[in-house]
Amino acid sequence: MSFAILACTGLDKPEGSVAREVAMRLAERAAAEIICPVVLNRTPVRYKDALAENRLIVVDGCATQCAGKLAAAAGKTPFHKVIVTDILKKSGFTLEPELRLGPGGIALAQAVVDAIEAAEEAGAREVAGSGSTPAGVEFEPPSDFLVVVHDKYEFRVPARGFFFNENDVWVQVSGGRARVGISDYMQQRLTDISFVDPPPVGATIEQFGEVGSVESTKASFELIAPVGGTVVRVNEALENAPESINEDPYGSWIAELELTSWDEDQALLIDGPAYAADVTRKAAED
Amino acid sequence: MAENTFMGVPRSKIPWAPTIDYEKCDYCMECDDFCPHRVFERCDGDVQLVVANPENCVVFCRACSKTCGPDAISFPDKPGIVALIKRLHAAEAGPVSEGAPAAQKEGAK
Repeated sequence: MSFAILACTGLDKPEGSVAREVAMRLAERAAAEIICPVVLNRTPVRYKDALAENRLIVVDGCATQCAGKLAAAAGKTPFHKVIVTDILKKSGFTLEPELRLGPGGIALAQAVVDAIEAAEEAGAREVAGSGSTPAGVEFEPPSDFLVVVHDKYEFRVPARGFFFNENDVWVQVSGGRARVGISDYMQQRLTDISFVDPPPVGATIEQFGEVGSVESTKASFELIAPVGGTVVRVNEALENAPESINEDPYGSWIAELELTSWDEDQALLIDGPAYAADVTRKAAED
Repeated sequence: MAENTFMGVPRSKIPWAPTIDYEKCDYCMECDDFCPHRVFERCDGDVQLVVANPENCVVFCRACSKTCGPDAISFPDKPGIVALIKRLHAAEAGPVSEGAPAAQKEGAK
């Protein structure tokens, strides 16, 4: 598989310099084409083929996400995406304040490269077979919907079989397993979903912790976990077809969890009719 | 009444809102452009942006901080807030169990 790498230029902040270093290191290892964000912004046609023919890795320095936004503008869904500031917060690295990288910056860049490569290998393993849903555990598609009408919009909520938190994340439970996704109301709020970042398989997640995120051209949305548990599967189909969430929000699950304390978690969730009332209130406030 | 609750807990009792670090903020206004709930308000003067309506902030939402290039927006510690909400939720849901021991004490006197 060949890659194109679109990274921050590294001329604004040290985190950006790390992104630039990551791009160069990745390109050295994996014979990948580097895409200059400034040139892409100015003359998109220059990289038309590189974007069409390769999987894209986006490396941003900070949350301004210049590279990510340019990828979205070019209509390209990244295969992999990292933001250096996010990794910096989660890791113990300290970054020197200068644009020219010191030993801390170099070490961080290498750690990011390693993380990207590990994620790719893990991804390859998942596709090869791990994470199946056990026999007897079935997630039936919803049959009856409650419909909240607001102006020209219609928001559908499954009448039964699904629970929600007030952060617009649904959960469907079957035999100790749970699938989570975002509600019809939230997918319509976000508009066209362009990227899904599922939680890592094997991660332990607390109720109300983060269970992945999705991005649209309009916003980034962090999924607040309606239940606690261990991530056993992610919906790989969404990687290449994030728009499925817009088309079928209650079928497009993002992660499957092995539940830890469903009874306790359930007490803090609302059912379909209560969520429909919540959506009615939110739509009126928008 | 339903307007201002989160998980059955009055929104005013949940201290979830962004804090702006003015040492870092460069007033690019990305956060304000993003937030549909009018949490922020622009103003004239040295400080050009304030958290004007903290109770409009969606509990647990941190999306504005993800638009912030200079990393100037922070939120309260989430596990702490979750614990607080669970406590308040239990109190709202079960005033009987909270009141019962006190009532017994009264009776015992």
